[in-house]
Amino acid sequence: MRASRLERLRDGALPWLVPAVILLGWQAAVSVGLVSNRFMPAPLDVVRAGWEAGRTGELWTNLGVSTLRALAGFVVGGGIGFALGLANGLSRLSERLTDTSVQMVRNVPHLSLIPLVILWFGIGEEAKLFLVALGVFFPIYANTLHGIRSVDPGLVEMGRVYGMSRTELFTRVVLPGALPSIFVGLRYALGIMWLTLIVAETISASSGLGYMAMQAREFMLVDVVVLAILIYAGLGKLADTLTRRLERACLGWNPAYRSA
Amino acid sequence: MLRDAVRPEPLPEAVAADPRTEPRSDPRSDPHRPGGPAPSPAELGRRGIAVTVRDLRKSFDGNAVIEGLNLFLPAGGFTAVVGRSGCGKSTLLRLILGLETPTGGRIDLEGSAGSARRSEPPKRIMFQEPRLLPWARVVDNVAVGLSGHGSRSARRTRALEALAEVGLSDKAGQWPATLSGGQRQRVALARALVSRPGLLALDEPLGALDALTRIEMQDLIERIWRTQGFTALLVTHDVAEAVALADRILVVEAGRIALDLQVEVPRPRRRGDPDLARLEGRILDHLLGTPQG
Repeated sequence: MRASRLERLRDGALPWLVPAVILLGWQAAVSVGLVSNRFMPAPLDVVRAGWEAGRTGELWTNLGVSTLRALAGFVVGGGIGFALGLANGLSRLSERLTDTSVQMVRNVPHLSLIPLVILWFGIGEEAKLFLVALGVFFPIYANTLHGIRSVDPGLVEMGRVYGMSRTELFTRVVLPGALPSIFVGLRYALGIMWLTLIVAETISASSGLGYMAMQAREFMLVDVVVLAILIYAGLGKLADTLTRRLERACLGWNPAYRSA
Repeated sequence: MLRDAVRPEPLPEAVAADPRTEPRSDPRSDPHRPGGPAPSPAELGRRGIAVTVRDLRKSFDGNAVIEGLNLFLPAGGFTAVVGRSGCGKSTLLRLILGLETPTGGRIDLEGSAGSARRSEPPKRIMFQEPRLLPWARVVDNVAVGLSGHGSRSARRTRALEALAEVGLSDKAGQWPATLSGGQRQRVALARALVSRPGLLALDEPLGALDALTRIEMQDLIERIWRTQGFTALLVTHDVAEAVALADRILVVEAGRIALDLQVEVPRPRRRGDPDLARLEGRILDHLLGTPQG
């Protein structure tokens, strides 16, 4: 039993080995003077900057503002994408009516709309919400639609023959069948959510993580800039972990998602 | 159209009797069978749905698959339909089940009690693939067969009973992905039977199983058919399977019934029985188009 515990510890630590080695190397390189700390602060400087920003509360305010923006945009864009994906997956008419337009808009890089969005909304909350919602919409839409399309028609036929009502057919056959694909969309969307928000915040904002990083650049506070980048990495990892948990809970029936 | 009823002969008087009136003391009867006296033949007959098909036609994009087919399936009988692939046998089954709409002709289903009743027992199908919902536990998959009938707990109880009937009680809480192919097909059988159907259509349900599992499944289907008395319609490529299970075998060719044979070998049937083998040979000769030797 002890061996297995040791093994588990090793398995848990293994993914963190590479980041740890990089951090140590980085600290050493700056301490020895191999890299000027005007361009690249040492990890300890970053920790100190983080501590400082946390103590004044600036970090938490900005983090909170950004998270709220991200989630609001995600809910709006993801909700619309999911609803339209369902509608187009279930109704030929709806698909013929909207899919072509959606595909056209999809090919426009949504960040290229930033100048236009600033003209429309100024640098208020609406601009960020709009951009995040737009970015999140497409992966959720496309994967929901694909998920519904790829539900095994044999199962749908079985459901019909066995007397399922339309609602039952949807909740018991179509939706669970589409779920793995919807989760793929969800993970893509979470990545795009942070990306869009940070870009939007660096260009047009008066609060938030992106704004914090831009301010720091103006004053040559490299450690704060790096701190902000590391926080993005952490947030991305957090979102990914939560999605994985959710996947495992919802897709336990699928051998591909069962925890090892 | 050739319609001859051929009996494998000679048969001793004693064994030529109606197979289902035969005493149920066969040593192969399975321990999984629920207790209680076997229902009387009259009771059994009431459960089954009789099928009448008149001048049935079906074509897909102008290609006729079924051409003027007439057929009567008595309630409670076990009929097998064999034929080469593409002869229209699966289409016939799908038409009878209402999965396809006929191009012409009519299909009447009725309980043998008389005219169509409101509370007619349902008709069910077992597909070639199990078609279980991978995201539902085994017992919930069986309960799909009861969709909408009774409370949740009542459905669960009946689903567990049906699982016991196919010998899979211990798998009730598992995901379908953890079962073997034969076990999945048994779950599909339990799902088809849980609603006590009046007509069970079997669309090559054992085609993908290995030989031994297939024989076990055949015995299981036969045993349950004998206790429940539904009308069974089996579509299969496997002539040996048809001969082992059915009272009557229809050979379908080019959308018509080319041969209509009664199998009057008593049950339980022994595999390798010379009468069955002779009958199987006759059907195969017909299918392969070689003259009878």
